[in-house]
Amino acid sequence: MSWELHRVVIVGGGMMGRSLATRVAQEGINVYLKEVSTEAVEVAKAELDRSLEHEIARFGLTNAEKKAILSRITWVTHYDCATDCDLALEAVQEDFGLKRQILRELDRRMPAENPIVITTSTLSITELATQNTHPERFVGMHFLYPVTTTRVVEVVRGQLTTDEVYERAIDFARLLGKVPIKVFEMPGFVTTRTILPLINEAIHIVMEGVAEAAEVDLALKMGFNFNSGPLEWADRTGLDRVLNWMQHLYHESGEPRHRPCPLLKRLVRAGLLGAKTGRGFFEYDENRHRTDRLPDDKPRMA
Amino acid sequence: MKILVLNSGSSSVKFQIIETDLERMNAHQDLTLAVGQVEKIGLSDSRLVLEVPDRKTYQDYREILEHRTAIEWVLRILTDPEHGIIESVGEIGAVGHRVVHGGEAFASSVLITPDVVEQIEACSVLAPLHNPPNLRGYYAAHAAMPDVPHVAVFDTAFHQTMPAHAFLYGIPFQLYKKHHIRKYGFHGTSHRFVTFRGCQILGWEREERRLISIHLGNGCSLAAVDHARSIDTSMGFTPLEGLVMGTRSGDMDPAIIPWVMAMEELTLHQVNTMLNKHSGLYGVSGISSDMREILEARANGNERADVAFRMFCYRLKKYIAAYAAAMSGVDAVFFTGGIGERSPEVRENAIIGLEFMGIELDRERNQAVTDGEGEISTGNSKVRVLVVPTNEEKTIARDVVRVLNGIMPVFTPPETIT
Repeated sequence: MSWELHRVVIVGGGMMGRSLATRVAQEGINVYLKEVSTEAVEVAKAELDRSLEHEIARFGLTNAEKKAILSRITWVTHYDCATDCDLALEAVQEDFGLKRQILRELDRRMPAENPIVITTSTLSITELATQNTHPERFVGMHFLYPVTTTRVVEVVRGQLTTDEVYERAIDFARLLGKVPIKVFEMPGFVTTRTILPLINEAIHIVMEGVAEAAEVDLALKMGFNFNSGPLEWADRTGLDRVLNWMQHLYHESGEPRHRPCPLLKRLVRAGLLGAKTGRGFFEYDENRHRTDRLPDDKPRMA
Repeated sequence: MKILVLNSGSSSVKFQIIETDLERMNAHQDLTLAVGQVEKIGLSDSRLVLEVPDRKTYQDYREILEHRTAIEWVLRILTDPEHGIIESVGEIGAVGHRVVHGGEAFASSVLITPDVVEQIEACSVLAPLHNPPNLRGYYAAHAAMPDVPHVAVFDTAFHQTMPAHAFLYGIPFQLYKKHHIRKYGFHGTSHRFVTFRGCQILGWEREERRLISIHLGNGCSLAAVDHARSIDTSMGFTPLEGLVMGTRSGDMDPAIIPWVMAMEELTLHQVNTMLNKHSGLYGVSGISSDMREILEARANGNERADVAFRMFCYRLKKYIAAYAAAMSGVDAVFFTGGIGERSPEVRENAIIGLEFMGIELDRERNQAVTDGEGEISTGNSKVRVLVVPTNEEKTIARDVVRVLNGIMPVFTPPETIT
């Protein structure tokens, strides 16, 4: 890396923010993790602890490594830390107004040449950037779930993003241990734009009664060697989030093929949002383990 | 000549200044003038520690972000009028670098040239966690001391004398040709020193003897050294094979790995970490990777600490007998490393019952040796058993002298299989 990266500020202590903070800290870089209030910090801290403990139980991490990670993460509730950060990254929900407000706070405080990364799968980097004093230092990154294990990240160039900022974002992606996929901004980029219609089609199949949800998933999982079927993937992502993306995509493209399936809307309205609520297309326990797998849905041992 | 010995890890640089030359080496009178390290490179609170005999330990903290500034810091402290031990960097005559993996390219310690650097880089694929920081240390030291010779000393080189029937695995041969999958062995610098020093103590010629060197530290391995040549060693393609270690599994049925991956749905990363960091004494006992804590828990009646201890000693005992068989006999067994030097319990349990092959432990002597050199076998024991503290840094310094004087031995493979 031809530039130096010592301190990073991440805005948003949700799943994405925590996962990225963990990865950055694992590389020996200090992270400020910003949440809205001390109460929110406490909640996020507990969640981070829980996920690190889970990873230890899965053998992926040791107690000593956990300690080292936590020692490099500083929780904050204000933006003052941004003044001495080499890179900022916002990881809040897909809400244009909220993101715009955060980006303005960061842009106001960070040295002009330091990149500000927007994590988004559907919003326009350019539109979010132009509101600021230094729109050329904004760049997008689209991380896929689960953020810690998925190997690729889409690095998104906006209309005004400079080559230097874009290269730094590519370096940052590699530092996180991800393979960068270079994309220009356009709703859904590559991954979301292809997976959403697949999910939507799978939901249509269920709605039409062609096959049970569990069988649709199993067919695709085993047929194409996916880690999970598209419906379980949607459940784990959150059906509300999937619907939100789908609506964005439909809104931007106007293509009928991007219209959200009515069954998806029905589940979201009923509050059946997937793993986080215990039920979506499938059922989950409090540890988000699926409880209704078909007998055939098991790892192949030979 | 004053030699700077460097052992560069990903976030630390360990160093020693050793005064040695051909005369001192032969008289076993090499002088360690200073020992130290820089820890937590890459952070704002990096620490430098310098220990000089008969002086108070010196410590300092500052932000050190990469190896080059770390080594500049080391040189500045070494030449400091108050805390240092030399007047100028010019007094350092040469630098010795520890390099973990030399692959099949290096069967000896060598003067570092641009070609050598290129070959070490090529070996990085075999030791992705170790060789890159070793090289970063070299680049940094070379930038600060471009006019002195730099020598690379490999952990693997000593074991290059293994015959093909010892280093090949019983898997399709093309994997050896294509991916260089074979046993390399590690701790070579330690096994070399310990067998050399052990024979020196006994007044033996190493070239005439069959020796087993047992290094028990964080990592554990033993080597069968037959007439001064390593003919087998327990670590393999990586340092995971062989003995049960603090957090590493050692030998196991390879079929377990895909099976556990499928059953537990583990990723490659998780299964690697499981075998390297969650296994061994720690994984079995659930208590600690530290033998001292295992012994304590065992004394307090902890069943799993006891079984972990027994596994550790049992596996070691099997290997000792196996290596005696490999050499058709054994004249001496040497223990070294933190556990080997300081744990009479482990030594006793690893060799008790081996009287049939001429190993007789003197329990009292064994209990008495917990710091420094000493013999622990009875006067009647056909096989001599000694504790010989290792000194890898000294071996590196001596190799620098050997390379510069053109007397560095080459651990030539006895055969190549194509």
